[in-house]
Amino acid sequence: MTAAPAVVRAGLRGPELAGALRSLLGAEKVLWAREDLLLYEYDGAIDIATPDAVVLPNETADVAKLARFCAEHAVPLVPRGAGTGLSGGAIPVEGGVVISFARMSRILEIDVPNLRAVVQPGLVNLHLSTAAAPSGLYFVPDPSSQKACTLGGNVAENSGGPHTLAYGVTTNHVTGLEVVLSDGTVVRLGGKAIDSPGYDLVGTFVGSEGTLGIVTEITVKLTPLPEDKRTLMAAFPTMDDASNTVSAIIGAGIVPSAMEMMDQLSTQAVEASVGAGYPLDAGGILLLEVDGVRDGLDDLLDRIQAICRASHAQELRVATTALERDKLWAGRKGAFAAMGRLASDYYVQDGVIPRTKLPQVLRHVIDVGERYGLRIANVFHAGDGNLHPLIMFDGSKGAEEVERVKAAGREILEMCIAVGGSITGEHGVGMEKNCYMPLQYSPVDMAVMRRVKEAFDPLGLSNPGKVFPTPGKCKEFSLHAAR
Amino acid sequence: MQRIGFPNADAPLPELISRCVHCGLCLPTCPTFAELGVEMDSPRGRIRLMKNVHDGRLDADSAAFADHMAKCLDCRACETACPSGVSFGKLMEAARSQVVAARTPNLAEGLLRRAVFRGLITSPTRLALFARFGYLSKRLGGRTILRLIGLKRLAELLDLVPRTAPSSAALPARFEARGTKRGTVALFTGCVMRAAFADTNAATARVLARNGIEVLVPEAQTCCGALHAHAGERGDARVLAKRNIALLEPLAVDAFIVNAAGCGANLKEYGWLLKDDPRWAERGERFSLRVKDASEYLAAVGLTEVPGPLRATAAYDEPCHLLHGQKISAQPRALLAAIPELQLVPLAEADWCCGSAGTYNVTQPELAARLGHRKAQHIVRSGAAMIVTANPGCQMQIEAALRREGSTTPVVHLMDVLDRAYARAEAR
Amino acid sequence: MPRAERPASAEACAELLRDCAADRRTVRVRGGGTKDHQGPRRDTDVVLETAALGGIVDHVPEDLTVTVGAGTPLAALREPLRAHGQFLPLDPPHIGRGATVGGIIAANSDGFGRYRYGGVRDLLLGVRAALADGTVARAGGRVVKNVAGYDLNKLFIGSQGTLGVIVEATFKILPIPPVARAASATFASAGVAFDAADAIVRTSLRPIAVVVERTADRRWRLVLAAAGEAAPVERAIAELAGAAGARGVTAEAHDDVEALLGPLRELVDDSAPGSVVRVALPLSAQAAFAESAVRSDRDARIVADAASGIVLVRLREEAAVDGLLAGARVLGGNGRIERTVVARVDGSPEPPGAFLMRRLKDAFDPHGILEPGRSVVG
Repeated sequence: MTAAPAVVRAGLRGPELAGALRSLLGAEKVLWAREDLLLYEYDGAIDIATPDAVVLPNETADVAKLARFCAEHAVPLVPRGAGTGLSGGAIPVEGGVVISFARMSRILEIDVPNLRAVVQPGLVNLHLSTAAAPSGLYFVPDPSSQKACTLGGNVAENSGGPHTLAYGVTTNHVTGLEVVLSDGTVVRLGGKAIDSPGYDLVGTFVGSEGTLGIVTEITVKLTPLPEDKRTLMAAFPTMDDASNTVSAIIGAGIVPSAMEMMDQLSTQAVEASVGAGYPLDAGGILLLEVDGVRDGLDDLLDRIQAICRASHAQELRVATTALERDKLWAGRKGAFAAMGRLASDYYVQDGVIPRTKLPQVLRHVIDVGERYGLRIANVFHAGDGNLHPLIMFDGSKGAEEVERVKAAGREILEMCIAVGGSITGEHGVGMEKNCYMPLQYSPVDMAVMRRVKEAFDPLGLSNPGKVFPTPGKCKEFSLHAAR
Repeated sequence: MQRIGFPNADAPLPELISRCVHCGLCLPTCPTFAELGVEMDSPRGRIRLMKNVHDGRLDADSAAFADHMAKCLDCRACETACPSGVSFGKLMEAARSQVVAARTPNLAEGLLRRAVFRGLITSPTRLALFARFGYLSKRLGGRTILRLIGLKRLAELLDLVPRTAPSSAALPARFEARGTKRGTVALFTGCVMRAAFADTNAATARVLARNGIEVLVPEAQTCCGALHAHAGERGDARVLAKRNIALLEPLAVDAFIVNAAGCGANLKEYGWLLKDDPRWAERGERFSLRVKDASEYLAAVGLTEVPGPLRATAAYDEPCHLLHGQKISAQPRALLAAIPELQLVPLAEADWCCGSAGTYNVTQPELAARLGHRKAQHIVRSGAAMIVTANPGCQMQIEAALRREGSTTPVVHLMDVLDRAYARAEAR
Repeated sequence: MPRAERPASAEACAELLRDCAADRRTVRVRGGGTKDHQGPRRDTDVVLETAALGGIVDHVPEDLTVTVGAGTPLAALREPLRAHGQFLPLDPPHIGRGATVGGIIAANSDGFGRYRYGGVRDLLLGVRAALADGTVARAGGRVVKNVAGYDLNKLFIGSQGTLGVIVEATFKILPIPPVARAASATFASAGVAFDAADAIVRTSLRPIAVVVERTADRRWRLVLAAAGEAAPVERAIAELAGAAGARGVTAEAHDDVEALLGPLRELVDDSAPGSVVRVALPLSAQAAFAESAVRSDRDARIVADAASGIVLVRLREEAAVDGLLAGARVLGGNGRIERTVVARVDGSPEPPGAFLMRRLKDAFDPHGILEPGRSVVG
């Protein structure tokens, strides 16, 4: 664990702020006791910072009221869903108010005829699909944390998931938003129609990590459930074999709905955890899924299996029941947290690379691990080239160890950029990678993003300290500003 | 203020705390988080509170620590959800022991605790008497009187007393195996079971006997100590554990059979409870391995006789300490499926705590009632004509919650259902 | 007479914009010139032609990505991609008339494949754009997933050149499906046709086109096209036959998908007179909207991408245009004039969030030199 060096703004703080918020919103919507605030200093990643207060709104009006007040008193606003994020997005690095959406978690409408749902930001991702299932529909983006993560968080991070290979990420499934800007203005963007007039503000807002404003209502597309699926677990002697299989499948003109890869360290952790039935002696395994109408699915699966065999697959297992399929997926979806069995802490990277660079970059990851003497597991979306190296460490060893881990992570990200990729594919930049932004973007690119930020949040109170490099923290990185 | 850390060696172990990687996957499985929506009343938050006490950022005797530990149901749904394998139940019991150790309870609370944990629960006769008094006082309108004189908590407790007259008729010491004898077991009769659900104990023995299992009912046994352990009274829990081990371990039986999920989960953790006592640790571990839930054992040895048909629509509500505490879910469902004509319907949130959770009704009456209401609503919506469960606490809580909802749907123990089905077979 | 400029590089393009901004000369951006009729427009001092910004910059078949200059006609991409068995799954109108990649992005010009493959906003991975301050900015990248920083691709899509000039774009591409077939069925009423379309949309068939068209003889034809492996394509054709049969009509099979869909895309371009309105609607509002269009003009030609809720209407009566747009808003949708007889601003009120759009416009183009009058905020 590491406390980030905070740039604390001038503004209302501490007990004075808490008192004012209580009279503004009612005591039942405000947390201010220190022991409570200490529980809103973390999320699913490794950075921490304690808020000045936590507000639990019941409705949009509460958020607007809060924002107006905070604008007047220069108090930063940091939205929080379930706190499952992996880039420190919900951490109040510059202090201020954390807005927890735990009480705004309702499904407002499931509009079956229009294939839309209108939900509050605190709704758990999976709960939407569960509620839509009786109508034969589901919400496509399925981050591994979908049992816990919220739609608001998904919108903020533009979350992906295993099935985004064929069906797209969150932004491809959001058509409307209600947002509260940092000055308290409430504005509705888009709606149920697929397009809206003027600039695509919905598209601009999705993935903005709370830095443009706060989402208070979301309209999403619902998709007809596939009539059938085939799920295949393929085990290979080496990661190279598994990587080559991915390329061969794409090369054969097949785009599965999901193509996930795990290395041996990951499968071992997963087996100790959920017992998904992955072979422990495989160097790498692939989890593949094809879905759609039943017709032709088996043929497609046969072709995929043939390709796997040609790439030296040592074991192929097709799930024959829904239970078996769930089990195969449970292993993949619980893989990050399963690392808790191997180490007390982990730092997960989210770099994206062109698929063809997989073998090269994976070898680099191994090399980094060896040089730093750190164990690194790999669990990732192979079809998208979205890597998730999990660097294991022991946080109790102190800040130096954390810095070492971050340095290793940075080397991996630098490689991702060098081969033409991105520092993050779905976890977001947050406060964890904001110093690395100049690795990927030129000063001009950053300046353009800054213009957008200022158009939405001229006060700079919407989740400050995220996405953009901060001068205090990112000094050493300025030399590396590429391009 | 002086930071004291945890007061004694029963404290949550740092290595168990650090297993939590704060991924948050437990949050949506936690009934108190669903109801209250604050991190402090989520599993991740509670572990963090423990960590904060351990790190000296929070006092073990602080009201906040005590409050959030007390609000936990200890249903362990989070444990099932946790990919990191955090032993939440162990952490919670440890944390509560520290609350007990760190806080000086006020006189009344201390007396009540002693009366309940040492006086009432551990004595079958006294508990039986209490149950009978409860039944009677209810028949006589005691509830209203208690309400009137302001003893709301006792009134609510009385709500839990079942409608049927409790029977504590002594069980025979031995049930002969029917047909070819396939094994011998000892029945753990439990304190609450024995006091208020003696019929279920008899039913359990009959069902086992029907299937070729000889059942011994040892008179010499005592309360398992689950309620004590959950409440943080680890000293008392250890005394009871040792007594049970000493009394039961010499018996030449294949298994100790339990039909109360809460007791079963606790008996299976004697090894952990006694881990720091070199003379008892191994004995405890060995004892725990011999403990089996009745459904677990029956499903493992298989049914030799087909039960008679029961024409009913039933839903199975999973007791937390069976599902999460012992990871037993398929077995009871399989046994129900073996009853001809019994139709099992799905029940939403069947894997959620009903709010019973040991002494939760007494310590957190409001939350317990909210969770009971939630459960009752799901049951009403399920359309089931009968609710099957496998734990006395759940039975009482769900029945009370249904009654408040105006529903008369019976709540029946799995073993009673099987026993009834076998009786039906007999009658044919 | 505006002066035509044809910069040959991103930098030259940016320089030109900087110079224009310095002496407040207004600029129009022109690719293939196929969107000239779209939206209100004013004469400008300069017409920036993107023709010299053409060609494939990078194509990595194994990564399923292609990077092209903005001035590249979409049609010119076909053969080079086909050589690798791949295609860019965009099927907007005007391809035959030279619609360019940059123009398609700037106009957010989508086709019927949007339901299956996604539209411009789903397929565009990255853009480079020359800005009015003389810089060249990059948004997105060349990988299929990227959430680093803001998704500025979205801002440029549909911006009509009002924020900057797109000079290069990277797209997700796909393998060409082995089989493509189509079928159609004609119904007496819009309600039944859209109902049949809905039955298809509510499956996991994922066709490449589900179109409802009002035919010249005032009937309603549902056209379905499917592509992929043979078996699911056959299934889709069979499902259409089933949906038609259940509604008392017989479906007709078509082997040449392009011959069927091509004319449906070009409603704006066909030689018949009149204005064309494009509306985006909640799916279930399409039938009601189509019927109201017919009420306001008995001869209205209508082509609806029924799977996405995009409806194009050609009206003889210019007077009916504003009423139709208002009707779309009442139904929870929105619309724009795609082709008009008299160049004019439509009567639509400013969309919600217009103040944000204005701030963005001011931030990108403080002197208002880019495509004056063409964005919804002027």
